[in-house]
Amino acid sequence: MKNRVRAIFLVMCGLAMAAGVVYADLKKGYYTPAVLGSLRQPAPAELSPDSNYHVSAYPVPLADLAPGEGLQDVQIYCNTCHSPRYITMQPPLPAATWEAEVNKMNKTFGAAIPEDNTQKIILYLQTHYTVENRKQ
Amino acid sequence: MIVTEQRVSRRGLLKTLAGASSGIAVSRWLRPDVTMAQDPASGKVIEAFTGPRANWHWNSVGPYVTEPQKVPLILLTDRPVQLETPRHYFRTAFTPNEAFYVRWHLEGIPNAVDLNDWKLQIDGNVNKSLAFTLTELMTKFKPVSLAAVNQCSGNSRSQMQPRVAGGQWGHGAMGNAMWTGVRLHDLLDMAGVKSDSLVVQFQGLETGQGPKGLGSNLFLKSLDLDNSVLDECVVAYQMNGEPLPMLNGFPVRLVVPGYFATYWTKCLTGVRVLNTPDENFWMKTGYRVPDTPRGNTTPDDVKAGKVKTVPIGRFPVRSFLISPDGSAKIPAGMNVTLRGIAFSGSGPVKGVEISDDQRNTWTPAKLGEDYGAYSFRTWEAPWAAKSPGRYSIAVRATDEKNNTQPDEPVWNPGGYLWNRIERQEIVVGNAS
Repeated sequence: MKNRVRAIFLVMCGLAMAAGVVYADLKKGYYTPAVLGSLRQPAPAELSPDSNYHVSAYPVPLADLAPGEGLQDVQIYCNTCHSPRYITMQPPLPAATWEAEVNKMNKTFGAAIPEDNTQKIILYLQTHYTVENRKQ
Repeated sequence: MIVTEQRVSRRGLLKTLAGASSGIAVSRWLRPDVTMAQDPASGKVIEAFTGPRANWHWNSVGPYVTEPQKVPLILLTDRPVQLETPRHYFRTAFTPNEAFYVRWHLEGIPNAVDLNDWKLQIDGNVNKSLAFTLTELMTKFKPVSLAAVNQCSGNSRSQMQPRVAGGQWGHGAMGNAMWTGVRLHDLLDMAGVKSDSLVVQFQGLETGQGPKGLGSNLFLKSLDLDNSVLDECVVAYQMNGEPLPMLNGFPVRLVVPGYFATYWTKCLTGVRVLNTPDENFWMKTGYRVPDTPRGNTTPDDVKAGKVKTVPIGRFPVRSFLISPDGSAKIPAGMNVTLRGIAFSGSGPVKGVEISDDQRNTWTPAKLGEDYGAYSFRTWEAPWAAKSPGRYSIAVRATDEKNNTQPDEPVWNPGGYLWNRIERQEIVVGNAS
């Protein structure tokens, strides 16, 4: 438990630092929450004739994740590198595939999710996103 | 870097974020304006996912989303951004920039580029390292223009059986544009590639949260220096006569005609000549296909470790019926025009045929204007059904090297190289 709290704290610090970077410099990786199905048109960009070419933040609509044990681990750890829409976009996948995907994040991509949380994430995905149990 | 979910422990998150980021509208993250949401007028919406069988829609099933410099496109993922082009934008040979599909790998994608700072570096195993501003690229070299299809390696991945993990693209992860820029060879020749060099590696502004040295940190691709495609590569600063949208690689992207889009590095900043093989993740592990005909294999062979892989390369010949798209009935006896596109990564398309009798007999379609070997080629064919019923229209293309689309599916664990003959059901109704 202590380890978990420490890990969450570290991740939160990372998030805070990342957010600080965004605040300091909106040049990259700038995203904003959004609502799906909006029919309103985006406002035209404000432009000035200098050498800076910019676009607004990229919209991030909430992903509709299944409620259940492990959801918070998914939201914290998976969210560091990509939005959880990466999960809901997939077709139902075999339990072994979900395990392999999470292990790939740790081993190949260096996610360094603590073992306890890794197992929780795997179990969450296997409980809600296989052929046998996927509902949404 | 940003928690997008409402259900994260809000108090903790707010506490942590408050110190570092008072400039970010955190409250917006936690209380999105739900009053603006609106579903289609019919009240019936497409399913949230497809599977375990193949996706039975032409496009993927995600919602529409409006991203900067884009018309509403189909959302696959939002961070990083992956967007699919809806089918109707393929009625023309050139795909509009604002509708052109988008695919990034890592979440650090540019929102801004300052052309006062940005430079394209040519370095590594060369006689003289060089760096060019956009002005220099536009004025120091003879511009070239080339029509070329940019197709994602995973286009149509949602057709695979069994389904595989990855971006669940329908058929709209492709587009054709007129690319204008500088020949890559002009840049390499000016820098002087040393004789012991092996590959040329490309880097863009795309970065990720992962540790240094891993694929989650940097997206790098390379091409062998003895690959003849290098003679055709263009460092493009224009797309259909306009600057590139940020999401498609502003200010310049690499154009590798006939090759899958994984090599078309966006927001290109570095061209590096190496005298060692490129061992980075995106060449050694990612984007590889079985070294078999069509890149075809089976889950059993993969499990048994029997599959030798090679980096993905040119895309195979493909064709699509774009309209009619099956969304509305056609009255019996009415003469309509079937319209679509065809293309191949191995030279020009020489013929397109259609069939409405379960692929027993084929009728040639009329090809549209020829914009070059690597462009979409439009086609059209007259069609009418005398009696009401359900018809399956199939389209197949053949390229100059006599590659023809097969009727059999393809399967590999990456979900790449799909190019079987596509079919479209058309419902013909009673006309009186």
